[in-house]
Amino acid sequence: MPKVDMDMATGRITSWSVAEGTRVKAGDPLFVIETDKAAMDVDSPADGVVHHIHAEAGTDVPIGQPVAWIYVDGETVGPPPNPSPSGRGWPRERPGERGAAGAPSEQHTSLNTLTPPPLPEAEGLAAPADRPRATPHARRLARERGVDLRLILGSGPRGRIARADVEAYQTPAVTAAPEMAGPLVLHRSGGGPGTPVLLLHGFAADSHVWARVVPLLPCGHAVIKLDLPGHGRSPARSVGSFRDLARLVVAAFDRAGFDRVHVVGHSLGGGLALALADVRARRLASLTLIAPAGLGPEMDGDALFGLARASRAESLAPWLRRLVADPGLVTDGFVHAAMLARADPSLRTAQQALADCLFADGVQCFDLQAALQRVAVPTKLLWGRADRVFPWRQALHAPGRVALHLLDDIGHVPHLEAPDIVAALIADLATLDQARADTKRAA
Amino acid sequence: MSAAAAVAPATASTTPITGAVVRDLSYAEAIREAMAIALERDPRVVLMGEDIGVYGGAFQVTGDLVHRFGPDRVMDTPISELGGAGVAVGAALTGLRPIFEFQFSDFATLAMEQIVNQAAKLRFMLGGAVSVPVVMRFPAGSGTGAAAQHSQSLEAWFGHVPGLKVVQPATPHDAKGLLLAAVHDPDPVMIFEHKLLYKTKGPVPEGHYTVPIGEAAVCRPGRDVTVVASAVMVPRALDAATQLAADGIDAEVIDLRTIRPLDRETLIASVAKTTRLVCVYEGVKTLGVGAEVSALIAESEAFDYLDAPIVRVGGAEVPIPYSPELEKAAVPQTADIAAAVRRVVRGAV
Amino acid sequence: MQPVAMANRPFAIRHYDADTLRNALRRMLLIRRFEEAAEDSYMRGLVHGTMHLSIGQEASAVGACLPLDDTDMITSTHRGHGHCIAKGADVARMFAEFFGKETGYCRGRGGSMHIADVSKGNLGANGIVGGGLPIAVGAALTAKRLGTGAVVVCFFGDGANNEGAFHESLNMAAIWKLPVLFVCENNHYGMSMAMDRASAVAAVADRAAAYAMPGVRVDGNDLSAVAEACHDAVARARVGDGPSLIECVTYRWRGHSKSDRNRYRTKEEIETWVARDPVRRFAALLMDHGLLNATDFDVLERSVADEISAGVAFAKSSPNPDPVLLTRDVYTDLAA
Repeated sequence: MPKVDMDMATGRITSWSVAEGTRVKAGDPLFVIETDKAAMDVDSPADGVVHHIHAEAGTDVPIGQPVAWIYVDGETVGPPPNPSPSGRGWPRERPGERGAAGAPSEQHTSLNTLTPPPLPEAEGLAAPADRPRATPHARRLARERGVDLRLILGSGPRGRIARADVEAYQTPAVTAAPEMAGPLVLHRSGGGPGTPVLLLHGFAADSHVWARVVPLLPCGHAVIKLDLPGHGRSPARSVGSFRDLARLVVAAFDRAGFDRVHVVGHSLGGGLALALADVRARRLASLTLIAPAGLGPEMDGDALFGLARASRAESLAPWLRRLVADPGLVTDGFVHAAMLARADPSLRTAQQALADCLFADGVQCFDLQAALQRVAVPTKLLWGRADRVFPWRQALHAPGRVALHLLDDIGHVPHLEAPDIVAALIADLATLDQARADTKRAA
Repeated sequence: MSAAAAVAPATASTTPITGAVVRDLSYAEAIREAMAIALERDPRVVLMGEDIGVYGGAFQVTGDLVHRFGPDRVMDTPISELGGAGVAVGAALTGLRPIFEFQFSDFATLAMEQIVNQAAKLRFMLGGAVSVPVVMRFPAGSGTGAAAQHSQSLEAWFGHVPGLKVVQPATPHDAKGLLLAAVHDPDPVMIFEHKLLYKTKGPVPEGHYTVPIGEAAVCRPGRDVTVVASAVMVPRALDAATQLAADGIDAEVIDLRTIRPLDRETLIASVAKTTRLVCVYEGVKTLGVGAEVSALIAESEAFDYLDAPIVRVGGAEVPIPYSPELEKAAVPQTADIAAAVRRVVRGAV
Repeated sequence: MQPVAMANRPFAIRHYDADTLRNALRRMLLIRRFEEAAEDSYMRGLVHGTMHLSIGQEASAVGACLPLDDTDMITSTHRGHGHCIAKGADVARMFAEFFGKETGYCRGRGGSMHIADVSKGNLGANGIVGGGLPIAVGAALTAKRLGTGAVVVCFFGDGANNEGAFHESLNMAAIWKLPVLFVCENNHYGMSMAMDRASAVAAVADRAAAYAMPGVRVDGNDLSAVAEACHDAVARARVGDGPSLIECVTYRWRGHSKSDRNRYRTKEEIETWVARDPVRRFAALLMDHGLLNATDFDVLERSVADEISAGVAFAKSSPNPDPVLLTRDVYTDLAA
């Protein structure tokens, strides 16, 4: 049951346009929902065959609960899956379309149901922290390529790293050495004729946090990941305010010499991306803000300070797990990798100082709502509804031309938790930008 | 069963007579033809077994051979599995080349002493002073409604015994070639013939040829996953592979043909290529042939190429039931194989 | 000494020449001394595992083999040292096998329970009670099918007459009229269980009736009686009249194996049977008929003693098998 209205908790299907066994194409009407404002068609999110229609016409269905299942061709039709809650419910709609139309829209998006549901976490041994779960093939490949498996997030059951994960990790085959761009370090990879994509990570993270998204981005776009001051490989800088921090980022941006770029920012990086958009609007092709900072004072200060302070895996793990909706995603190996990246005490000191400045008393001490109102480039705002760091309702400050994507059962780090969705949304903006460029050229 | 006919003979490892006429024969006819050739070519060859004379064998495999070769060479034995098997062992030990037919492989339980303690071990125990060139044929497997005492797949028991060779042909071509290879082999060879295969047809060259014992056949090359099967599981695995191809999964199907000694090289090369392994066998899953195949791979240099857990699709932990639906449920069917392969390839295990 | 009338002389005396008879005595003595030396070696820790001694049963082993030549075959039992020597094996290679040496008959792979000189027609001792019976029938089938004229003597104990293999084998040998002698060495005990408790019939020979073959029961400690029964049966077999069952009533002086504590029989019973020592009886018979004197016997004893000590020395000095060749002869090496 998609959420098509802001205050909607349940939806009522008035009629089905398909029956059990109907073959549908993405975009075909599936059913009609009635809200207190209007009736509206819900289109198929994918190609396939409809099975297991749970929701009868006339009944109220909670948001996010599956109402039917679409099987791709060849997929074995199993017994009806349990329709009950928390269901990583409805296949995502095609984002971008309504956002592009300029209407305020809030698109319900959740994990793709077309992939088999993950196995229960319960079974299986916990992988030791320094030895992540990986297939023999992945291990061999990692050995051959000199890749540290602890830095890779596995896509298999219980986070198992398979060959493809190692290959994907290496996909930016032309990863250049980190380079200084003014005050900060950036990492370039890939390339091609497409408009580059600039990624700004969040507080207490570094550019590795994008590892799962980068391989899923469309080919032909260079990817540039910036390390914030005192994060990753960027040196710590004296920062007295958010404005100081933003200036460093803008300086690095200018030094990097972007002509046009898609900017993606997460959390603190999201706030910085917004600040960047405010002063360098003409250089931005699009803006993707993932749970950005600065849209309200509320936050989970314990989590961010906890992250900044953590000096060992054991004290880091609970805060990392708080970042995501499904704590199983943060395997011991993942924690270990994250701690490895924070091993330098001076880095931790710098981050604590930054937190003291930006998030004093557990409050977001800077306000970017005005900047959001001014944003002129095509913008998407993504937020997990299970975000425990910044409340997702801060997204509701978005102006009409910003497309809102609220993700069910996703926490503060959608690019970790649902990288396919994040990549698809960025790709949509890139496609849109390309289409506009083509139209302009034709004119 | 129709798929069995589609199993291409693995030309690389066979030695057919050049230019030999190839006809479509049933699996049972191919075995009979092999026995006739053996009887013609070697006066030491004798067939022994219960009701293999004028009756023609419980599954009509010996058929009319008694009329062609006489009752001294196509010998009915009394219903004495232990004694009969032992007589075959003693005859082989002293210069004959007996081919002993069990009516059902289940009855081998009555003869285990002679097979396991005597046939398999005599050469070794006597320091190489003797050999036991006996061939034993076992109609095996489920699917005929014969229930628990006439449907077992016990090949793994024999595969556990050093000194025995164990083969499990899946096609008429291999049934003939392996039987002739077995007759020439100086050591005891146990041939497990799946009863559901007897009537399946396939191309069989005329005349004498052998299929080497110990060589598996890649009967469908593929990229994504290695499916190792034997006997009637081979046509089922091939059917599953055809279904999977429609989903974009390219399965390599290997017909083990011999389960002792296993063809390590072929198995290792295939898994190193496909990175995934599904072992399919009708025998009870626990401690079965597929268990050995998966252990072999796990211990081998192919280990470092595995990109998914090895999966076994074996028989249920139950005696073979009578009722048709239960009987089907007790052993892997095409859909079970396809589902297991999908799970492995899609990273769901 | 007055010569006994020809017709009243025992079969052996009538039928075999003096050399053959002295040679038979020597073999009995060799079996006795071999097993004593084997037991002594066992006590000294030179022999691995266990052994089943046939001391007291020498007459049936030698008597049954007397009508055979090297083309004839035997199958033997776990208590098979006597059969092996009776069929012509070299005690030095037998000791070597006991000592687990590469020079042993089985190259150290078989030990006491699988000992055999296959070149002399011995198809092997067998660790399975009744295991040799169907094999003997198979060997007889080969002889008949290939027309070799060979006869097979199948040794087994009273314990085996309750095994299914016994009944299946006798039946098949009978229906196919195969040249095989089933020679039961009834030593009264299948391990600890007495024959009269274990078998429904009083005599194993009675079983022959069920398979339509002659069944003969003889004093198994009387070499001549054994040889006579076997001679007749071999003659029947050679002309195609089929199998026979011969029961040699005898006794093992030692326990079943080295772990036997003799709890199931009395000292008196053992002593009664020791008094019927088949070796002494046969020596006495030869002396009675003027075919052997005390000096001859001493010479025989000394030559046997020499052969035994030479055999033990050979075994001791022989090389152990190479573990590198552990799996040799599991299968025939086709490359070799």
